[in-house]
Amino acid sequence: MKITFPHMGSSPIAFRMMIEKLGHQVVMPLRPNEKTLSLGSHYSPEFACIPFKILLGTYLEAIKRGAEMIITSGGMGPCRAGYYGVLHEKILKDLGYDIDFVVLEPPQKKAVNFIKKLSKITRSNSLSVVWDALSTAWQKLKVLDLIEALSYEIRPREAVKNETTNVMEECYKLIDRAWTKEEIKESLDRCTKMLKAVKTKDSIKPLKVGIIGEIYVVLEPAANFDIQRMLGDMGVLARRSIYLADWTKDNTFFKGEEHIKKAAKPYLQELVGGHGTLSVGNTVLYAKEGYDGIIQLAPFACIPEIVSKSILGKVTSDLDIPLLTLFIDEQTGKAGVKTRLEAFVDLMQSRRNHKREALA
Amino acid sequence: MKAYLGVDVGSVSTKLIVVDDFLNILASIYTSTAGRPIETLQECLRTIHPDLDSDIEICGVGVTGSGREVASVIVGADIVKNEITAHAIAASHMVPEVGTIIEIGGQDSKIIILKNGIVTDFAMNTVCAAGTGSFLDHQAARLGIPIEDFGALALKCENPVRIAGRCSVFAESDMIHKQQLGHSTESIIAGLCEALVRNYLNNVGKGKDIKPTVVFQGGVAANVGIKAAFENALGCEIIVPEHFVVMGAIGVAFLARNHTKKVGNTKFKGFDASEFDYQARSFECKNCSNLCEIIQIYQNGELAARWGGRCGRWDTL
Amino acid sequence: MKIGIPRTLTYYAYLPLWKGFFEALGCEVVVSDKTSKGILDKGVEYAVNDACIPIKLFHGHVYNLKERVDFLFVPRLLNLTREKTVTYCPKFLGLADMVRASMPGLPPLLDFRIDLRKKRKERQREFKRMATLLGVRPAEVDRAFRRAQRKMSRTLKDLSGKGNPEEVLGILTEDTRNVLLPPQPITLAVVGYPYLLYDDFVNAGLISKLHKMGVRVLTPEMVPEKTLKRKAKSLPKDLFWTFSNQVVRGAIHYIDDGEVDGIIHVTAFGCGPDSMVGKLIELEAKQKTVPYICISLDEHTGEAGVLTRLEAFVDMLKYRRDKQ
Repeated sequence: MKITFPHMGSSPIAFRMMIEKLGHQVVMPLRPNEKTLSLGSHYSPEFACIPFKILLGTYLEAIKRGAEMIITSGGMGPCRAGYYGVLHEKILKDLGYDIDFVVLEPPQKKAVNFIKKLSKITRSNSLSVVWDALSTAWQKLKVLDLIEALSYEIRPREAVKNETTNVMEECYKLIDRAWTKEEIKESLDRCTKMLKAVKTKDSIKPLKVGIIGEIYVVLEPAANFDIQRMLGDMGVLARRSIYLADWTKDNTFFKGEEHIKKAAKPYLQELVGGHGTLSVGNTVLYAKEGYDGIIQLAPFACIPEIVSKSILGKVTSDLDIPLLTLFIDEQTGKAGVKTRLEAFVDLMQSRRNHKREALA
Repeated sequence: MKAYLGVDVGSVSTKLIVVDDFLNILASIYTSTAGRPIETLQECLRTIHPDLDSDIEICGVGVTGSGREVASVIVGADIVKNEITAHAIAASHMVPEVGTIIEIGGQDSKIIILKNGIVTDFAMNTVCAAGTGSFLDHQAARLGIPIEDFGALALKCENPVRIAGRCSVFAESDMIHKQQLGHSTESIIAGLCEALVRNYLNNVGKGKDIKPTVVFQGGVAANVGIKAAFENALGCEIIVPEHFVVMGAIGVAFLARNHTKKVGNTKFKGFDASEFDYQARSFECKNCSNLCEIIQIYQNGELAARWGGRCGRWDTL
Repeated sequence: MKIGIPRTLTYYAYLPLWKGFFEALGCEVVVSDKTSKGILDKGVEYAVNDACIPIKLFHGHVYNLKERVDFLFVPRLLNLTREKTVTYCPKFLGLADMVRASMPGLPPLLDFRIDLRKKRKERQREFKRMATLLGVRPAEVDRAFRRAQRKMSRTLKDLSGKGNPEEVLGILTEDTRNVLLPPQPITLAVVGYPYLLYDDFVNAGLISKLHKMGVRVLTPEMVPEKTLKRKAKSLPKDLFWTFSNQVVRGAIHYIDDGEVDGIIHVTAFGCGPDSMVGKLIELEAKQKTVPYICISLDEHTGEAGVLTRLEAFVDMLKYRRDKQ
């Protein structure tokens, strides 16, 4: 069976390994571009959010390249993304594609269903093969997250422009080739070394920005114009609150993030789905840790993030931290985003200078 | 000879046509509404009258367009029809095998899907003007290019630049950005044509079963650049009927003909209506916090029509 | 004691429940004025710009009430159906937090959680909080809520007998009282959330316009609950939102039933759940070849635009019928 799956950040590297280890062929989802988005938008409801449109475009491209099965995740709401699998399947069927669509729902609710669906993919593989595939994929996801996070720390201080980005390309190749537990661990060590070898100007004290918002546009550089890199190139240290490995963890077997929800509590008492509550909580935490600003990223018309945006106004004025909200859709132009970012960086810089003068 | 008058008062332009019993066009007028629908319509009546042979008798009048209410008071209409139905009737009469009608006017645009001459589906634009004629007018003015030359210039370009923007304001800022990057005027114009077509297909045309034969009508159909962009996007030939700007008026004239044949008389006030004194006066109803703007039309000093209230209070004269 | 209930959102679906509850507690219920331009303007002023029109209107109605009540009723409504997987739109869940963050000078909010899936003990805790706020005993709150629930389920039973939903729910206003009509040549299903269908300001008088054109109008509220439950099975997975499920199931019922000539989906511009709901209805209608149209409402919706679309849709159905 030729299998494909959504494109989200660097995660396809890990999922590809998992599926190949289970004896399937993988149709790698391509990094979404304008054409992907146009294709997806064409067949999507107009007010579906941008993740829906990009995913549909990605699926259509993969089907044209021979994919026979799509694996994706479900959800329990109240964010609508949990229903995307069902609707994507209906739209693809309506377009006449007979494709196997496997939506993995979170296993807490219906564990039997989860295992049944998983067996469609695991087939007759022995338990040890399945375990190896799952555990190494999980390990790889974590390595990818770690390396990516490290790159954001180094980029704003790099001495030679673009060096971090070039090293990262090498890192992805290395991690992609690692197949066993040991190899993956070794790839982590090597990549860490390579990144730490990037020449930096340590005198620079970069501005610190916390990125919050909806998971897909936060994680997928193709959807957010590679905002973290763009900020890094502007000399800003941009950290984000969501990584795929954390997220996957939280939504399957573990319960965490209680302290973020607790931080949100004075402002937002109800779980509003998606990452709305976390956005509010993380803003509070970033502000208390002395960050220079907050950037909220969300798809245009994202329901949970509209709720959090209407509350963030008060949060950021109480805690005196600037906020930039970017709602993204297929009509958003990179130039517009860049202009806003540059202005926001100037604003943060002048606030910092002002504070320093006040202290002196 | 029996003839029928069709009137289409749009937000940007006013169209009048006179047809005979077999829908042959005897006279037609297309002019800018210029924000003065009443005076413009009266002016049109005055201009079209001398063009008609003296033996012509107007036996029925139909009105359509966003100004159809006011127009029906001025001319005395036998039938008042929405512009979707009017456009569909005209196109299926002119091009019997029509499957899809693309209609783009000054401030709105529509798509109509037909099967065997019967409308099966339709839609109108929901978001602002990014898929309509005024978008083009505005950008042409910005570029300093007469709108008439716009289409021909677009055809000269091989690789149009992609212009993003759901609404005209954002499209404009993206266009300026592309200009500053040094793209040629031709490729920007072609890019604007493509942006309009893309906005149209993703808003109005969303989810519609677009099948040939595709007929393109409304004022924007004069633009060969847009026509080419549609042909490119849809992969089929597009037909622009001879009287593409007055299709709504033709459709409603046809409906007036059928209607008056059934009832046997017309409410037409005659071409003299162009000399009547019409006054539109409005006031704000203060009966509730809706603050509706009530519009009253006076003919020679007498109240002839009234509308604008959300409740029924002002419905009767 | 005066309790303010905004005349929007859940008002249009659960008025008997809310009213029954507060009246059983001996409170006076004050409903905000009918939606008007003034209320809409205030809503646009206070609500976050990216919100949909129902949320903006909610802010407007809260503003309309805030000076003349002792408490404002803004419940955190999670579940009233006992269906395990459903709740309400995320925007509903955050209503209390949103108005608090955006509007100064509010009376105390009665923002207690209503979640009938929860154990009695947890519900008791919320009742206690409510009781403290209102200065009554928790047992009284409990009793009042149960009494109101019984009233609500009686109302729903009446509705299933195809009564006029607005009359049965007690949300009828004078302007809409022209519903009794002779048998009609065209029957349409008009589906959408109750706060859009029955607020004739926000929908530009859509239903009464259809009546004037001689159309018989059927809404999801007129479908018996049992039928709706049965129709749930035609989707592989329930939607997460109570109102959306009701709309989709009602729509599927009318599409399957063959009783209607066409279906109109009324939605708010930019409504998140409706981007899913609309597509589901559209695909279903397409499969069964039932004519479908979507009417999208926002604060700029003009009477003329709605009327043109309705007229064209009804014309299309009439021509189609004549041809047959």
